[in-house]
Amino acid sequence: MQTQQEHAFEFTGKGWEYFRIWIVNLLLSILTLGIYSAWAKVRRLQYFYRNTQLAGASFEYHGTPIAILKGRIIAFVLLAAYTVAGQMNPLLGILIFLLLAAVMPWLIVRSLRFKLANSSYRGLRFGFAGSDGGAYAVFLLFPILTLLTLYLLAPLTHYKIKQYQHNNSRFGDTFFRFDATPGNFYSIYLKAFGLLLLAGVFFGISAALHMPVLMVVLPLLYLYIVGFLAVRLPNLIWSKTGLGEHDLYSRMEVGKYLWIAFTNLLGIVLTLGLYIPFAQIRMAHYKFSCMGLLAQGDLAEFVAGQVQTDSATSEETAEMFDLDISL
Amino acid sequence: MVTAQYFDGRTAAAHGVTLTLDDEWLQMRGDLLAHEWPLRDVKVSERLGDTPRRITLPDGGHCEVTDHAALDVLLKQGGYRQSWLDGMQHSMRWALLSALLIVLIFAAAYRYLLPWGAEVVARSIPPNMLQKMGASSLQTLDKLMLESSKLPPARQQALRDAYAKLSPLPDAQLAYRIEFRSASQIGPNAFALPDGNIVMLDELVALTDNDDEIIAVLAHERGHVEQRHALRMVLQSSAVGLAMTWYMGDVSSLLATVPAMLVQASYSRDMEREADEYAARTLQLNAKSTCLLPDILLKLEAAHAKRLAEASKDNGGSVMDYLASHPATQERSALLCPAH
Repeated sequence: MQTQQEHAFEFTGKGWEYFRIWIVNLLLSILTLGIYSAWAKVRRLQYFYRNTQLAGASFEYHGTPIAILKGRIIAFVLLAAYTVAGQMNPLLGILIFLLLAAVMPWLIVRSLRFKLANSSYRGLRFGFAGSDGGAYAVFLLFPILTLLTLYLLAPLTHYKIKQYQHNNSRFGDTFFRFDATPGNFYSIYLKAFGLLLLAGVFFGISAALHMPVLMVVLPLLYLYIVGFLAVRLPNLIWSKTGLGEHDLYSRMEVGKYLWIAFTNLLGIVLTLGLYIPFAQIRMAHYKFSCMGLLAQGDLAEFVAGQVQTDSATSEETAEMFDLDISL
Repeated sequence: MVTAQYFDGRTAAAHGVTLTLDDEWLQMRGDLLAHEWPLRDVKVSERLGDTPRRITLPDGGHCEVTDHAALDVLLKQGGYRQSWLDGMQHSMRWALLSALLIVLIFAAAYRYLLPWGAEVVARSIPPNMLQKMGASSLQTLDKLMLESSKLPPARQQALRDAYAKLSPLPDAQLAYRIEFRSASQIGPNAFALPDGNIVMLDELVALTDNDDEIIAVLAHERGHVEQRHALRMVLQSSAVGLAMTWYMGDVSSLLATVPAMLVQASYSRDMEREADEYAARTLQLNAKSTCLLPDILLKLEAAHAKRLAEASKDNGGSVMDYLASHPATQERSALLCPAH
């Protein structure tokens, strides 16, 4: 049995520093009617990647603004076509919707490939090798089955999506692995559903007793459910993800997460949005401080042994065919 | 001299190196490592706060530098020029100036660009489209809140005839009809649909003393239609909603709708004034007193205040809800009927 070493992620972003970058880029995005926002997005990602450190080295984002702009134009055209067509003729709207549903998995694969191929750590790129067929299964077939079964399959679908994403991701030549089971996802979703039932019972009791005061508990309970899902799902997903012989972990707490999310929201509302960069930095600090890598044996040795054989070609295809559709 | 970490791009191993500049050549030295490249073949990433800077090397590897001061000295020595954005992104003065400019741009767009754009778009919508929109809104309203009218058919016809006799202003574009409905939970009201149909509620008819008052209300509603107010409001609020979703996107889509609603309220004030003017001109053209409208407005206000007072007793609602979205009746009254 080798000794296990814990390497926590460290996020070193600073609120005021990011505020200055954010606001200047926001101004330029507005002045160029949104075109510059692709450049702004690259800067934002670079700032966050470079400030994320693991075992003494930081991450890097290599996406080019032009690829992002291309993706945004495509997304905008698709969305505009869908909206306008739906207004003119409902039938045409349905047709375009079906068309969108049919190309969406294909676009998602391109987008995942773009994102990972443009991320690196210690000079080695990440990569995504998921097939189009796999994407159509998890992003189209399973969601349809979920609808048909009245969401009974929703946790299974979520599991399938994450399994597809993580099992097909790699760092250098080493693939990630996803060890969760559908049962893990069902357990979390069922607990959330139980809390929802509890909220329903509470509602019933307060209505029956004519005590509206009890209703105060309802939004709190609802907030808790939202936080519960937002914390427990990433915790599960990352803690069941590994790279080679090493394991990742995420240990967020619902209470702390909710406190940060709530105070962030309050700050943003009170400052008409000026707090947004500070809020993003705060949340990143918390998320990354809860995440890390459990290394089996010497991480430095593992890292030094990581290689990349196909760097040049994969980069080129990424440039030519891939685009980023996430807005 | 700059200390850095070198990665060769093929393995993840880090090598401690030092970088120096010899004339136009960047030299890298480390244990078992010695390379040099012309400085112009080397790509230096822009400064982003205190994040490590990246020097991309021609051999496919790169260096990560955290010693910013030393690197700046080296780059200056090599004649490397910062991009114009670099200074802006790191100065507090530019940050504050940007914030100020953003506020000004938003304010100007909201005050001038938005109403102008909405009007241009609203006016370019073809009549058959207006017809469809009117029909579908009436359908939705019927489903959600309207009931059929309890006015006797003869009375309905009499009002229709009286309205048909009202000569439209010369620039009027749409044909007008009245749809009679009732809605106890809305109270006395009338509203204009985009196709020119005007929904008149029984509760409003009951409130009036004579048919001329109804005609005054209809003229006012016609003003709303002719100036495409409903359409403009929908366009404006969806544009604001979109902008808010984009700006606040990360926060919550729920939050994004709140400001859009506030905007709607403040727009309807200007539009009420425009519709009042239109009604006054129509009434003048038909040789009727412009004081008819203030009369019925005062009655409406009293009726709504009463309803709201009752409602607030029940569930704690506020009279301010209603008042905020309508210009003060006295102010409107003074404009329409100076003799009052």
